[in-house]
Amino acid sequence: MEYKVEAHRIMSISLGKIYNSRVQRGGIKLHKNLLVSLVLRSARQVYLSDYYSGACLNAQSEREGNEWDITDSEREKFPPSTTECDRVESPEEPQLTEQPEASEKEREYRENDAEKSERVDCTSTSEQESNQNSSLDSVSTETTTESPSDTTVAERDSTPVVVNGESHQPPKTHVCSSNRKRSAEESESGDAPQKRTKVASSNTKEDEEEAEEMDTGNVSNLITIFGSSFSGLLSKDGTKPEAEAEESGQICCDQMLKNLNPWSTAIVAF
Amino acid sequence: MDGHGDGQSRWCLSQVKGAVDDDVAEADIISAVEFNHSGELLATGDRGGRIVIFQQEQENKSLPQCRAEYNVYSTFQSHEPEFDYLKSLEIEEKINKIRWLPQKNAAHFLLSTNDKTIKLWKISERDKRPEGYNLKEEDGRYRHPSSLTTLRVPVFQPMDLMVEASPRRVYANAHTYHINSISVNSDNETYLSADDLRVNLWHLDYTDRSFNIVDIKPANMEELTEVITASEFHPLQCNTFVYGSSKGSVRLCDMRASALCDQHSKLFEEPEDPSTRSFFSEIISSISDVKFSHSGRYMMTRDYLTLKIWDLHMESHPVETYQVHGYLRSKLCSLYENDCIFDKFECCWRGDDSEVMTGSYNNFFRMFEREGQRDVTLEASWENGSPGCPLKSWRVSTGSRRKRNEIGVDCLDFSRKILYTSWHPQENIVALATVNNLYLFQEKLN
Repeated sequence: MEYKVEAHRIMSISLGKIYNSRVQRGGIKLHKNLLVSLVLRSARQVYLSDYYSGACLNAQSEREGNEWDITDSEREKFPPSTTECDRVESPEEPQLTEQPEASEKEREYRENDAEKSERVDCTSTSEQESNQNSSLDSVSTETTTESPSDTTVAERDSTPVVVNGESHQPPKTHVCSSNRKRSAEESESGDAPQKRTKVASSNTKEDEEEAEEMDTGNVSNLITIFGSSFSGLLSKDGTKPEAEAEESGQICCDQMLKNLNPWSTAIVAF
Repeated sequence: MDGHGDGQSRWCLSQVKGAVDDDVAEADIISAVEFNHSGELLATGDRGGRIVIFQQEQENKSLPQCRAEYNVYSTFQSHEPEFDYLKSLEIEEKINKIRWLPQKNAAHFLLSTNDKTIKLWKISERDKRPEGYNLKEEDGRYRHPSSLTTLRVPVFQPMDLMVEASPRRVYANAHTYHINSISVNSDNETYLSADDLRVNLWHLDYTDRSFNIVDIKPANMEELTEVITASEFHPLQCNTFVYGSSKGSVRLCDMRASALCDQHSKLFEEPEDPSTRSFFSEIISSISDVKFSHSGRYMMTRDYLTLKIWDLHMESHPVETYQVHGYLRSKLCSLYENDCIFDKFECCWRGDDSEVMTGSYNNFFRMFEREGQRDVTLEASWENGSPGCPLKSWRVSTGSRRKRNEIGVDCLDFSRKILYTSWHPQENIVALATVNNLYLFQEKLN
C-alpha cells in the first residue's frame, strides 16, 4: 500500500505544480509541464493499475460490488430518456465534432459490455460500437456510481458527496463534466489523456496548447474546477495522509481510498 | 574518488564578483556565463536582463604567480521585460544564453537571448576623440562665422576609455516557445536558435527571415512526448548540428541532407537501465546541456545525475559516463517536491578537451579528468578559501560518520547551486556562477 500512498502523494504534488505554473512569470513552461505530466501519468498508472487489478480487493470488493449493483439499479432508476440524452449530448456535441472519430476509437474503456447496447442510440457517435459510447451514456446515469472514486467531490460545485457508492442526484450542470471525467478515467491508464472536451482534457495538454492557442474559455473552465475542487481536496489530502500513517491495516486502506478516489477523477480532469 | 591524498586540489580561488550579502535580488541572479574565444573577455547575464562583461587585465610581469585579474569592462541592459498582448503573457527579460562571435576586428560581438528575442551586440572601445573643429567650440556650441580667421585640421586626442555596447541586430518573432539555446556556426555567418519544439537558422545580417530546420511539434499536441532542450553547431563542420531532447536522446543532423532536418542523421541514445526505473526516470534523463569538444570528435551531454561523453562515431552508448552526484538518486522525490529536479546544469570542456566540469548543489562543482579517470569535488565559497590558497576537495557521504571535509547528503544546501560554468579556452581558468556571485578559479602554476 505504501507505493499507492506514495503515488498519490506524487500525483497531488504534480497537480500543485501544474496549477502554480499558470501564475508563474514568463508564461507556462512547456518542458517543465511535460515532465510533470509524465510523472503524473506514471504515478496515476501505478495507482490505478493496482487498484483495478484488485490489489485492494479486500477493502474494495464490497464497494465494487455496490458499484455495479448500483449501476444496474441506476439504470433502472434513470432509464435512458431523450431528455437525459439530450442533456448529455448537447454539451458534448461541440467537443465531439471537434474530435475526429478516430481518436475515440483509440480509447479503451473498461465498461461493462452489457451496458453498451443500451446506450448506443443516445449519442451522436452511435455508429461506433465501442465502449466509449456506452460509457458516455451510462455515465450520465451513473455519475454517482463508478468506482468509489466516483466523481465526486471534485466536480460538484461545493457540496461534498458521500462517496461510498450510494446513489445521489448529481447537479444537472455537471452531468457532462462527470461524463467526461468518468470516461476519461475509465480509459486505459497510460494512454494519452482524453481531449474530448475542455473539462476532461488533461490540463497539461491544455497548458501546452495554450502556449499557442490561448483558448480562454478552456482556461476559465479549468480554473473554476481547480478553484472549487483543488483547494478543498488539497487540505483534505494534506491532513489525511499524516493521519493515515499512524493507523494501520485495513482501516487505513479504506479511509485512504475513500479520499484518494475523488482525486483520481480530479486528476483526470486535467 | 579523490586522486589527491592530502585532499588538496590544483585549483585556487582567484576572484569573487557580486554582492556578498545573503539577500539576493531576483534580478541579480546570474543566468549565463561565457568566455569569449580568446578568453580575454568574460560575459555574464542575469535575470534582470543585464549583461556584464569582464576583461582580463594585461599580465603583470612582476607577479608571474598570479594570472591577470578580470575587471568590469562593460555593463548594459540587453533585454527588457515585454508583454505579449495577444496571449496575455509576460516575457521574462532573463538572459538564457550568451554566445560570442569570433573576433574579426577591434570590436567584439555577442549574441544574447531571452525567451523570445535574440540580439546581436557590438561592444567597442572609444579612447580617442576629434578635437579642434573649425566651426564648433569644444563644448559643441557653434562659433560665430565672423570670429573665424584661421583654419585648422581637427586631430584625434586621447580620452578616457569608453566602452560602448550597441544593439546591431534584433532577431524577433521567430519563436512560439521559449528559446533555450543559441549557437554560432563555424562559417561565422549563420547561427541557430532552438526553442522547445523548433530549431531555426538565421543569417547574422538578416533579422526579417529565419529558416526552420527542425520541427518536432506533433500535429496533435496531445501526442507530445518530448521537447528540445539544447542545441549546438559542430565547431568545425558548418553543416552539422545536434539537439538534445527531454527523453535523454541527442540527434545529430546534417543540413546538406534536406532543408528540414526532422530526420536525424545519427541518434545518440543509451538504453535505460530498468533496475533504476522510478517515477522520475524520465525527468532525470532529460538532457540539460550538450557541448561539442573543441576537437569536434566528441560530444558531452549533461542530464540530472550524470555527464556523458559520446564519440560522434558511436551512437549506441557513451564512451565515458561520470556520476556527478549519484547520491541524489535516493532523494529524487524530495528534489521533485522542491523543484530542484528541474534544474538545468550546464557543462564545459577544458581547452584541450582533457577535462570536463559541471556544477552541483551546495555550491559544489565537479571536475573530471578523462585520461586519469580522476575527479574532484570543490566548493565555491568566499568564506572558506582565500585567493591563492588551494581548494580542498570534498566528499559527500551517505553514511553517518563524518571525516574531515566530508558532508552528509542530508546537509547539502539545495538552494545554493552552480548551474552555469565556463572554461577559459586557453588557460586553466574557470568561471562559474553561484546564485548571485561569479567565481573565478585558476590552476596553481607549480
